[in-house]
Amino acid sequence: MASSNNYGIDPALVSRLATNRTNRRRFLGGGAAAAAAFALGPAFLAACGSSTTTSSPTSSSAAPDDGKPATGTLRISNWPLYMADGFVAAFQTASKLTVDYKEDFNDNEQWFAKNKDPLSRKQDIGADLVVPTQFMALRLKELGWLNEISDTRVPNKKNLRPDLLNDKSDPGRKYTAPYMSGMVGLAYNKAATGRPITKIDDLWDPKFKGKVSLLSDMQDGLGMIMQSQGNNVAEPTMDGVQKAVDLVKEQKDRGQIRRFTGNDYADDLAAGNLIVAQAYSGDVVQLQADNPDLDFVIPESGGDWFIDTQTIPYTTQNQHAAEAWIDYVYDRPNYAKLVAFTQYVPVLSDMTDELNKIDPKLATNPLINPPKESQDRLHTWAALTDEQTQQFNAAYAAVTGG
Amino acid sequence: MIFPALAYLAIFFVVPFWSLFKTSLSTMGGSIFLPQLTFAWDFSNYGHALVTYQDQILRSLLYAFTATVVSLLISYPLAYVIAFKSGRYKNLLLGLVVLPFFVTFLVRTLAWKTILADDGIVVHTLSAVGVLPPDGRLLSTSWAVIGGLIYNSMTFMILPLFVSLEKIDPRLLEASKDLYSSSFRAFRKVIFPLSIPGVLAGSLLVFIPAMGDFINADYLGSTQTTMIGNVIQKQFLIVKDYPGAAALSFLLMAMILAGVLSYTRALGTEDLV
Repeated sequence: MASSNNYGIDPALVSRLATNRTNRRRFLGGGAAAAAAFALGPAFLAACGSSTTTSSPTSSSAAPDDGKPATGTLRISNWPLYMADGFVAAFQTASKLTVDYKEDFNDNEQWFAKNKDPLSRKQDIGADLVVPTQFMALRLKELGWLNEISDTRVPNKKNLRPDLLNDKSDPGRKYTAPYMSGMVGLAYNKAATGRPITKIDDLWDPKFKGKVSLLSDMQDGLGMIMQSQGNNVAEPTMDGVQKAVDLVKEQKDRGQIRRFTGNDYADDLAAGNLIVAQAYSGDVVQLQADNPDLDFVIPESGGDWFIDTQTIPYTTQNQHAAEAWIDYVYDRPNYAKLVAFTQYVPVLSDMTDELNKIDPKLATNPLINPPKESQDRLHTWAALTDEQTQQFNAAYAAVTGG
Repeated sequence: MIFPALAYLAIFFVVPFWSLFKTSLSTMGGSIFLPQLTFAWDFSNYGHALVTYQDQILRSLLYAFTATVVSLLISYPLAYVIAFKSGRYKNLLLGLVVLPFFVTFLVRTLAWKTILADDGIVVHTLSAVGVLPPDGRLLSTSWAVIGGLIYNSMTFMILPLFVSLEKIDPRLLEASKDLYSSSFRAFRKVIFPLSIPGVLAGSLLVFIPAMGDFINADYLGSTQTTMIGNVIQKQFLIVKDYPGAAALSFLLMAMILAGVLSYTRALGTEDLV
């Protein structure tokens, strides 16, 4: 698998080395952290001590729109392996814009740790469009660090799924434009388990000792466990989170849990180091191509949705180009190409026809087009208050990081 | 003349060091995501860090110590052979020692993941001959982490050892032979004492990075092998408890310093090579 004749520690490159197939979010783990830690260094520490100005949320499309098409360069910061081949080039041809596309978004919290100081001082962060997960996008919005996305410049916004367009976290998607959505559930190797996995308790089967992984992201990792304990992620409480954390700690201390992972569970699952893993749906569709024994289930007690969103930081150097990009992405034929690559659940409505044109198997795949009964079991985390985020993260990190 | 060096030290060592020190004694207030750090001589950060993460601290000490000792035991004979017995292959052998460093650290560590995988050939072979129990594993164990630490740092052990061994005047060995010393005795009384600076330098170059390492524990370890570097990384970047993380960093530094001082004292040398 990993070919070892490549050099360089660009996270995107390493994530390709570390995997034998292509998918996103793969590299949340240590490598990204290492790269971040090297990159941060003293400036980061010095910045921690600096005074910060809390800006109040403003809608900052200050200059009136002249209606002219966007020109110049667009700098995009996205997750690794989250882009279809040739897509950026096609956009450049269509829009006459130059795109500087970077796969340097590896982890929401780490991205925030790196960029919060420049953003708080309204300094350019080297990106005109970034793709954080919705909870992070909403945090940025609350801090007043996002520009509004113009409806007139993004007419294709109407193609969004109504449930996403009218979501109460950002009605009308004024600040956060969904990019992909996906399911957080369980992936397992049927041949190794010898039986179907259906519920959270199956994770703790002594037969799978040391062959189970959980996601290190707090929401993705704890969400389904909280639901299995009868708690609701739409109304999370510290007690509910703590109860889930306690269970994870108990299982960790037993040696049941092998690793807390980002997307790198996929490699361990493929290599047979893991039998059951908390997983993202799109990854599993990819893995199944090589290993038909792998299966993805939403636990009986429920799993959760994640949504990654395109946002325009208020430090953007090219607002109109970013809007042109979002509009291009929201064109159904274009978007179908993205979905065909990422294998996640489309954020646009009525994608069946366009997906069929690329590959009829896409639209019928229950992981790309989940049936109603799966959807009913999927829940979305409530937008957390700052205090909740801090408390929940700290509680989970006490187990995952120690 | 030394101004550039001093300026470099001031900018890249003293300033961040001071900033980290201040952070470690600060309290955090203000908004959650844009916290205000107030310097307050808050030593409780240290107490808290020490109590909460004593397991990881002890584990890091143990891993780094084991890695250093094993690395020394493996590297010494190799450096000895290269210095005294390799003849015209000396440069070739030295080149081979350095060669793995042409590939980045991360990729080499990831390669070990593949080699040690549960379904890999190494585990199968060891299970077949009964060294490992049937459901045993190598990856995600303490041994894998320590192995990674050793592997990634061996060059730093071999090179200083080689330098100090190569410097030894062969006439000293001849003299010991003339005085009817056995080979072992010559080694014990002449070669080893003269190579102490290399042993010291090599040990420090392995021990210090190993103490703060988190990549090996991350890729080759499990939830039971977390090192202090992993904790610091998580506290800084995920939990964003800057004072706590800074205090842990200082504790780590203090432990390394104490270790280095007692070690140099014990070996009776203040010179590094």
